[in-house]
Amino acid sequence: MNGYLLQMTNVSKTFPGVKALDDVKLEIRKGEVHALIGENGAGKSTLIKILAGIYKPDPGAKFSFEGKEAEIQKPIDATLKGISIIYQDLSLFPNLSVAENIYIGRDSNKKPWKKVSWAAMEEKAKKALKELGVEIDVHTPVEKLSIAQQQLIEIARALAFDSKLIVMDEPTSSLSAGEVEKLYKVINDLKNRGISIIFVSHKLKELFTVSDRFTILRDGKYVGTYDTEELSEDKLIQLMVGRQVLYEKNKEKIKTGKTLLEVKGLSKEGNFKDISFELKEGEVLGITGLVGSGRTELAQAIFGVNRPYDGELKINGETVVIKSSEDAVKKGVAYVPESRKTQGLVLRQSIINNISLPVLKQLRNKFKLVDRKKEVQLAKHYVETLDVRPALPERAAGDLSGGNQQKVVIGKWLSTKPKILIIDEPTNGIDIGAKSEIHKLMRKLASEGMGIIVISSELPEVLAVSDRILIMRHGRIAGEIGIGEATQENIMNYALLGPKAEGLYQEEAPA
Amino acid sequence: MNSILKSKEISIAMIVALLSILLTFLSPVFLTADNLLDVIKGNAVLGILAIGMTMVIITGGIDVSVAAVTSAVCVILGKIMVAMPDSPISIVLLFLIGPLLGIALGAINGVLVAKIQIPAIVVTLGMMSIINGLVLYITNGQYLNSSSFPSVFLKFSSFEVFGVSIVILMFIAVALFTWYLLKYTLIGREVMAIGGNKDSAVRVGINFDKVQIFVFSYMGFLAGIAAIAQTAYTKAVDPNGMLGLELMVIAAVVLGGANIMGGRGTIMGTILGVLLLGIVQNGLILARIDTFWQKVFTGIIILLAVSYDHIQYKRSQEKLSKIEVEA
Repeated sequence: MNGYLLQMTNVSKTFPGVKALDDVKLEIRKGEVHALIGENGAGKSTLIKILAGIYKPDPGAKFSFEGKEAEIQKPIDATLKGISIIYQDLSLFPNLSVAENIYIGRDSNKKPWKKVSWAAMEEKAKKALKELGVEIDVHTPVEKLSIAQQQLIEIARALAFDSKLIVMDEPTSSLSAGEVEKLYKVINDLKNRGISIIFVSHKLKELFTVSDRFTILRDGKYVGTYDTEELSEDKLIQLMVGRQVLYEKNKEKIKTGKTLLEVKGLSKEGNFKDISFELKEGEVLGITGLVGSGRTELAQAIFGVNRPYDGELKINGETVVIKSSEDAVKKGVAYVPESRKTQGLVLRQSIINNISLPVLKQLRNKFKLVDRKKEVQLAKHYVETLDVRPALPERAAGDLSGGNQQKVVIGKWLSTKPKILIIDEPTNGIDIGAKSEIHKLMRKLASEGMGIIVISSELPEVLAVSDRILIMRHGRIAGEIGIGEATQENIMNYALLGPKAEGLYQEEAPA
Repeated sequence: MNSILKSKEISIAMIVALLSILLTFLSPVFLTADNLLDVIKGNAVLGILAIGMTMVIITGGIDVSVAAVTSAVCVILGKIMVAMPDSPISIVLLFLIGPLLGIALGAINGVLVAKIQIPAIVVTLGMMSIINGLVLYITNGQYLNSSSFPSVFLKFSSFEVFGVSIVILMFIAVALFTWYLLKYTLIGREVMAIGGNKDSAVRVGINFDKVQIFVFSYMGFLAGIAAIAQTAYTKAVDPNGMLGLELMVIAAVVLGGANIMGGRGTIMGTILGVLLLGIVQNGLILARIDTFWQKVFTGIIILLAVSYDHIQYKRSQEKLSKIEVEA
């Protein structure tokens, strides 16, 4: 043995028309936390799926595991070798008990009429949970657990399989700060036991906290493997994107025009209370605050889909009542929702069909049928101006990377020619290069006279795009800061402590 | 094991109990052993099919060809029986041929659904139409009655244990066997898993195609058993006798608490669903209400039950998401 638990070399994967991986290598030492990093579309998930036995690599790939040559043809091959994958969306069965979820998959290669021993199953599950130091009743159906608990179930499953290598794909994406800390502890424990971990994430800070080494992929190619000490955030980003992009605080000033939107005393039981603000032409207003502070609910109320509420809305100085999303569009308000995959896009349909969706009525010809030519033209226009890649409007939206999907959603709403654009978490799960492109896009739209509201939890992002920042806390506006004075620290203070930031509230501030 | 399912079964059982109490007051005949056994016997075929359908629905599938497949097996068994010797071996042969025919037809459904990935509703609608057409072609729509069956079959049909008909015994056997299969065998757990989350199932190495083919084949197998039960119950083969029964089968499963989207469903629930439908039917007869009202009532019960269930489910989901936001 050469100290490596896993070696994958010469790994290529060709999909019809795309080379997703091109001669990539990945070497994992025993007992290390290894960060696998790259922009969306760099080939991380393809590589992981090959390791998992879900995809077959192109011929020529070589795997060795524990010093021996290995073949992984099916998921069960990986499982039996001791490789467990924890996907971002988890691989759990909500309808089954904790015990079964932990045990499942172990017998996939056995005869179908093999008797299942519930006692053994529960025993194994209890043992695995105990090893993790977690107390969850093994009879509970998984659908009753929180996301953090569900993730622990996945880790327990890996332990129950005596895994030597655990892959965690974006494990912290839906965890709170406290839960993330706990996860780090678990990872440390696993490491101390000699279990290797491949950690996939977009959050650089966290990768530097947990990882011993980094392997970087770019555009399906292997860039390099580095010890954490050799890297800085700047250098890592440079390696990932091959060019220097780091978004910094917005400094340029766009001339603002007349007031577009006036919100006066908006309240909705259990959602938000007494919200008042204005939005001007050419202004980007950032709204931030912790998840659950009522930001999204407020945006949806303005867009007319979270009703009824008290208070008053004025657009262009006129009092309006927005009863539905259709109504909002008519009045020049567009809302790009947080979840592009479920609320923003019809993934299976083409880019064309997605972009034209909100304006189909206007694209009708004299027979009241949709004019396909106009539709294609419209889509082409946005694909070009927003630089959607690949620039193939016929492609299904689901085939695009996250950043490009987001551009399509924005294009879709721009097609309604809004005056007020509300964007909820505009760059969630998008790689850094695409993020800064989307930031630029928002600035550009504002400079063309649009009023933009950006809702985001990511403070650097809020600072990069906003002219003014509202901070929400427990459904109220806790503070307002102009971009001149805004810092991550003072925003966090408002978000955590409220307007009277004098220590009245004794809440823990996340790091 | 699963508290949601348990509470669901209890609520169906409560409805069955309430209805029974009501009917006891309305008609002195209702709460007699004979009447109750008749209700179960009369719905045993429905029950056998509903148990198979529970499996299909748990995986998120549907099979609307069940009644047609059962009819086809009935007709073929009827034709064969005419030529069979009057010896117990004939009964054994029936129990071999019937299920095998059913499995063959079910497997065709399963392969089309799993391998060619045609939606189950489309495959089984097609299958239903083909079989119904062929059955009419073969039989000209005519009855085969007991006079042409060997007398050993008629003896088999009237076999009872402590007054419990063979038809009911078959239903019980099927229920127990399937319950065991679902709870204690690997394939049974894989059926549950696939219904819960298909992607997860594939990731943990469950062969999705295999499970789907199994589920449809098992449905066919039970259709074969149901065909024997049906022939024993009516002592005749009526090629049109089961037209539209598939709706009742699906209704019983859904009433029993199975989720039509997959992932939820139990044998106990389905049995209660069958009983509920049977008792409503019986009650309407005892109350001398015209038979065409039966369908109306059945439909109303299904819509009420499913709406109630869905509203409950949505509420629990809302609760879940609220907690997450506050955390």
